[in-house]
Amino acid sequence: MQQIAQITDFSALPGLHWQENGQLSLSGSLLRLYKKIDQKILSFIPDIIFDEQQFSPFISAEQLHKLDYLHGFPHLITMPVTLDSSQASLQAFTAAPLNENGNLNLTNIAPCREVLTPAACYHFYEKQSDTELNGPCYLTTLCTCFRRESAYHPLTRQWAFSMREFVCLGTQEEVQEFLQRFEKALNSYFQKQLWPVIFEQATDPFFNPLVNAKYVVQKLEPVKREMIYAGNVAIGSFNFHRTFFGERFNIRRQGEAVFSACVAFGLERWLYAVLATCGPDEKDWQI
Amino acid sequence: MKTQEDMKKELHAWIVKNNAKIKAEELCNDTDIIRERIINSLQIIDLLLFVERLSGTSVEVEQLKPGAFKNIDTIYQNFLERQGDEQCNK
Repeated sequence: MQQIAQITDFSALPGLHWQENGQLSLSGSLLRLYKKIDQKILSFIPDIIFDEQQFSPFISAEQLHKLDYLHGFPHLITMPVTLDSSQASLQAFTAAPLNENGNLNLTNIAPCREVLTPAACYHFYEKQSDTELNGPCYLTTLCTCFRRESAYHPLTRQWAFSMREFVCLGTQEEVQEFLQRFEKALNSYFQKQLWPVIFEQATDPFFNPLVNAKYVVQKLEPVKREMIYAGNVAIGSFNFHRTFFGERFNIRRQGEAVFSACVAFGLERWLYAVLATCGPDEKDWQI
Repeated sequence: MKTQEDMKKELHAWIVKNNAKIKAEELCNDTDIIRERIINSLQIIDLLLFVERLSGTSVEVEQLKPGAFKNIDTIYQNFLERQGDEQCNK
């Protein structure tokens, strides 16, 4: 096995600008590598034509509530908050917008109906709602996602991060074949690259998991598997939703609620995997 | 004193009572109650609490293994068998 190069301080890499609040900026060779990684991931299943779509980072709270997300993951949610638009409220805000700690002195808040999307694929289900599919539907998107965490680390745990997702909506057989094909392609890729990746059963990071029925069901009926790099960084996941989204959004196939699955990749974590495997020198980077 | 048969019958009755769609005669001890959506995700906690009452011991959620609640037989094997054995031996 190839020796993993040790980069002790990722935030010191040229082209990587890190802010302690979990925000990352890329430029130069690292930005080029980021784009190449996305192109590589897009090439894994060349004979399926994925309909690529682009979404706003906002997603309606009502839509997330349909998925029980607000109950299940309140600790991860980030909301775009705006001030009440009345003259008095705006005037009061401008008088002292920041306090001595650098926190915004929020005056009256306008009603908040949106959330910054925590996952890329949620947009697809709303868009496909109340439809009958004539065949399998293959979709992909690259989205900036937002998850509030208790601590942040460059590339591996960020408040804002990039997620490339592939979704299949279809019959159970079509959806499982989609997952199997991805797993086979990724297995070959990781072996070829000599990346220390194992596929492991996982559960979502629920709030109060022990009293959350969905967590219990995920333990009993595993639907999520992660690609774990070097024992501790999940660089992607396979998620079999069964008919959950089909039922919630009335998407049908052959008269029944459609099955769905997604394969998700965290692009900054892939960047981490390349750098941790190949080291900081651009000439050694292989993807 | 409850036998294996008693406990499986109680599980059977609970599942039928809590699901309007399935008839008693359609539910077998090896019917997959999660995949066939006989028990939905909201009912799983209630079923877990029912199993705790039946076994007299608490079920540790973190220790749950895939397939443990697959059907009446697996629930019995994973959570009630020892209880049934102990009671049979008394």
